[in-house]
Amino acid sequence: MRYEAPRKLKRAVALLSAESGVARVLAGGTDLLVQLRSERIEPDLILDIKRIESMHAIAAERGGYRIGAAVSCAALGEHAGVKQLWPGVVEAATLIGSTQVQGRATMAGNLCNASPAADAAPALIAAGATVAIAGPGGRREVPAEAICLAPGRNALEKGEIVESLYLPARPERSGDAYLRLIPRSEMDIAVVSAGVSLSLDAAGRCSAARVALGAVAPRPLRVEAAAAALIGSDLDEAVLAVLAAACAAACDPIDDKRGTVEYRTEVAGVLAKRAAVIAQTRAGGAA
Amino acid sequence: MPLDHPQDLTIKDFKIVGQRPLRPDGIDKVTGRARFGADMNAPGMLVGRVLRSPHAHARIKSIDSAKAEALPGVKAVVTGADFGAVKDGLDDGMLDVLVNCMAQDKALYDGHAVAAVAAISQTVARQALKLIEVDYEVLPHVLDVDAAMQPDAPVLHEEAADESVPAGFSKNVVRRYEFGHGDVAKGFAEADRIVERRFKTEAAHQGYIEPHACLAAMGPDGQAELWVCTQGHYMVRNTCAALLGMDASQLRVTASEIGGGFGGKTTVFIEPLALALSRKAGRPVKMTMSREEVFRATGPTSSSSIDVKIGMTREGRITAASGELRYQGGAFPGSPVEFGAMSAFAAYDVENVKTVGWDVVANRPKQAAYRAPGAPMAAYAVESVIDELCKQFDLDPLSVRLKNAAVEGTTSSFGVTYGKIGLSATLEAARAHPHYSAALGPNQGRGLACGFWFNFGGETCVSLNVNADGTVGLSVGTPDIGGSRASMCQMAAEELGIAYDKVRTVVADTASLGYNDVTDGSRVTFASGLATIQAARDAIRKLCGRAARMWGIDEDAVIWEEGYAKPAGGNAGSFEPLSLAEIAAVSARTGGPIAGHTEVNADGAGQSFATHLVDSEVDPETGKVKILRYTVFQDAGKAIHPSYVEGQFQGGAVQGIGWALNEEYIYGEDGRLQNPGFLDYRVPVASDLPMIDTVIVEVPNPGHPYGVRGVGETSIVPPLAAIANSVSAAAAVRMTHLPMSPPRIRKAIEEAAGR
Amino acid sequence: MVTVKIWGSLKEAAGGRSELRVEAANIRQLLQRLGAEYPRLQPQLKRGVSVSVDGRIYRDAWFTELKEDSEIVLLPRLSGG
Repeated sequence: MRYEAPRKLKRAVALLSAESGVARVLAGGTDLLVQLRSERIEPDLILDIKRIESMHAIAAERGGYRIGAAVSCAALGEHAGVKQLWPGVVEAATLIGSTQVQGRATMAGNLCNASPAADAAPALIAAGATVAIAGPGGRREVPAEAICLAPGRNALEKGEIVESLYLPARPERSGDAYLRLIPRSEMDIAVVSAGVSLSLDAAGRCSAARVALGAVAPRPLRVEAAAAALIGSDLDEAVLAVLAAACAAACDPIDDKRGTVEYRTEVAGVLAKRAAVIAQTRAGGAA
Repeated sequence: MPLDHPQDLTIKDFKIVGQRPLRPDGIDKVTGRARFGADMNAPGMLVGRVLRSPHAHARIKSIDSAKAEALPGVKAVVTGADFGAVKDGLDDGMLDVLVNCMAQDKALYDGHAVAAVAAISQTVARQALKLIEVDYEVLPHVLDVDAAMQPDAPVLHEEAADESVPAGFSKNVVRRYEFGHGDVAKGFAEADRIVERRFKTEAAHQGYIEPHACLAAMGPDGQAELWVCTQGHYMVRNTCAALLGMDASQLRVTASEIGGGFGGKTTVFIEPLALALSRKAGRPVKMTMSREEVFRATGPTSSSSIDVKIGMTREGRITAASGELRYQGGAFPGSPVEFGAMSAFAAYDVENVKTVGWDVVANRPKQAAYRAPGAPMAAYAVESVIDELCKQFDLDPLSVRLKNAAVEGTTSSFGVTYGKIGLSATLEAARAHPHYSAALGPNQGRGLACGFWFNFGGETCVSLNVNADGTVGLSVGTPDIGGSRASMCQMAAEELGIAYDKVRTVVADTASLGYNDVTDGSRVTFASGLATIQAARDAIRKLCGRAARMWGIDEDAVIWEEGYAKPAGGNAGSFEPLSLAEIAAVSARTGGPIAGHTEVNADGAGQSFATHLVDSEVDPETGKVKILRYTVFQDAGKAIHPSYVEGQFQGGAVQGIGWALNEEYIYGEDGRLQNPGFLDYRVPVASDLPMIDTVIVEVPNPGHPYGVRGVGETSIVPPLAAIANSVSAAAAVRMTHLPMSPPRIRKAIEEAAGR
Repeated sequence: MVTVKIWGSLKEAAGGRSELRVEAANIRQLLQRLGAEYPRLQPQLKRGVSVSVDGRIYRDAWFTELKEDSEIVLLPRLSGG
């Protein structure tokens, strides 16, 4: 097993492209090291991206923020600007693992690990975040929902590496929220999760919305029918019931050690409703 | 100086006992200097690893280790065949231990050891495991206790049942126990109401943080050393000596510091393998289990299925009680169902009572003791039914328990008539506590439950050496799993009349003291404490003897008071009192070293009772539970070090919270364990818990010179029941299956609502 | 003679009785007499028992004295965690 820690992104892409065996990118390592120690993987190359300076930056860009792939969840959690603009995304970042884990873990890594239950995914999908990918063929930018293809499988091609995440600008009177159900209070993996982002018009009516669910299908889901239920409404009981039903309809979960099909399907709607109400409150709407 | 018989209870004004001095092992533990099982190294040391069965049940047709042995860096491979020579000489219990450590003709559960290797590195050892070819014939398996009892269930062993099992049962049913007295049919006829319910609990692991680890070194002369994380190194020595065909004297075992045991380290798993590998390789071998191995191959406690039936008058008097308990104890006989059946109704004075226990085998790891083995599940079922009856009659659950509480003179459900016990005192303490009358909000519920544990004494050997500088070295043979070195120092200092920090207690190796039973049965503060007090009194007698000779008077004319030898009275003469340090300083010239010894098989461990009170809140939409408030009331007899007594109370409550809410062994259809790690085997984390409040009740145990009762186990008996009663109240539906995970609670709520 | 209570599942091996009278002055004699007079109890005696005498439970204590009026209860061998 070889360990490389290049200082330049270009060099990282070159190393990854040239590796004929199994290569893994090391950011925080909070998933990778666990997989190594449990002997689930035996990579030939471990490529550490933490020496690449640009990977650590959180930069304002076009009214939004660009977040380097090596930015830790803890750093994100302490960034006043991101917290104010995208509190739901930051809330997801500061739910991953424990305080210690958040000091190492990254949102990009959480996304690339491609777990259907990743906390980063629903929040970023609801936020309409995009992911910048560098590779031998140049740079491309894809929506967050395009990263996880199936459990443990991401959309990166050979030699590609996530460079940054982009959280867009948003209108006034906007808010987002992320909720997950775990049997404990922390240090756990979502049994079901939901992210909601919405904007309100001057009358307090929902003018735009995005809804995403985690751990209810082989990949995190964006649920457009659920968002559609919110748009044009003031999120009254009836609307929230339609939202919950749309979420339940979108679920395609499994029975496993963490929950049942029935449970995940029902609770997805519960969490989406609660997240929508929190997002509405954050947007300055009716509580 | 007469040596008190422990029965002569001498309550006195304690100076050191009852204080809260710093524990002597504290600094080492917080700075990382303490050496645990995996912290010992030896020159030329090899890494030992175990190949484990991926099948829940399979015949081992052949094992070919030739390729692994040929791999450079591999120094030894051991399989079941290596233990063939000793097998015939072992009794049934010891043979089961051997077969559990290393499969013989069948793999009996997912994770069962089938071979072990010793190699020069982790990498080589891992490669070697992949090169061992095991030819399995996969057999049908069974995991659930009720399923394993079915006549057509896959059979694990052809001849494991003993004479207690009537004909006609599945061969997986291996023991039957029955306890009780009176006439339950008559008692039920006297009841105004009868509630009968079935409960299930899932297997829970002790969840100790430190995985099993050891370092074994055997020389060509057969002399061996073993450094190991265990609750009982004498047990390890005797077991390993038997399994390896060694003389006990040739194997010296040293207990490391221990990162939790809770009963799970009262047997062996990798230790005989490490010794066998070392013998074969001629080099020291270190073995450390991964967390996955701990879950798959060490013992959780039993899963259970329990029927309980209780009859009560409308005034709240229990007229009759019966229970049928079925525990699967993994792939070998020995589930703690007899303790479940004995303890189920032990907290109550019931005229007509009967319990039947069934010990059942299934394709799971061999259960190991877990804190009050067998009792928590039984208490869960019994206390749930009592709670339900109280609700149906609209009676106060605490008053009903007081009305039926066992007291001195009550003949228990297991036949023994109690002496002085403290159940009523814990209930009275609960009633007086502000928690009992605090207000509850919506979706919140309060649960109350009582619990009982026997407590044991056992074989104990202690040595106390008085050093020339006036300090004292105390050697005990019981590993310290809960602050016992501090408590031993306190008791020795109390007797000798010297300062706490003048005594140092060490856990001696197996060559240094006579046999000591395992640290179990909540016995150490009781038994090693009793032995320490007696050893101190033995030393005092010798100290007085030396003073007598220095003064030229009779030994009988010298008394010991507050650390000084003094003339017994005016007739004895007038001499300046001599301190322990003054006598010790000249000991070389007065007859040599001064030491006190005790060898005892301690009995008289007083039973311990507790009452737990818990408030919880249930989210009706998600089924998630939050524990809001928790208070433990337990009889400690006499708390030697109150902080560690409180720690035991809190620890039992917390482990009970985990067991009640989220901890469970989850298996796939293929019989493989799905959650062998702390991510999906959910012990509570700190943020899940309120501060666990504690109230120490002291009803002295007449069997101990200071009145000590063991406290380590009773504290895990009531929580399952107390939490289930609380959650059932909060969710407005009776929860009959543990753990009460969010999906189970949500489903119960939905079903109760008819949805 | 002393009276010893045995637990329910041993009754069958002891002729259906739950209280047995034997001639014994201590625990060792008690266990010897029980084994001799009720051979079907022997497998359990061999596996091990505890004996409670007047509320005090003994795991192994041959020479514990038994009195005519002692409450003597045979129990499965106790252990713990």
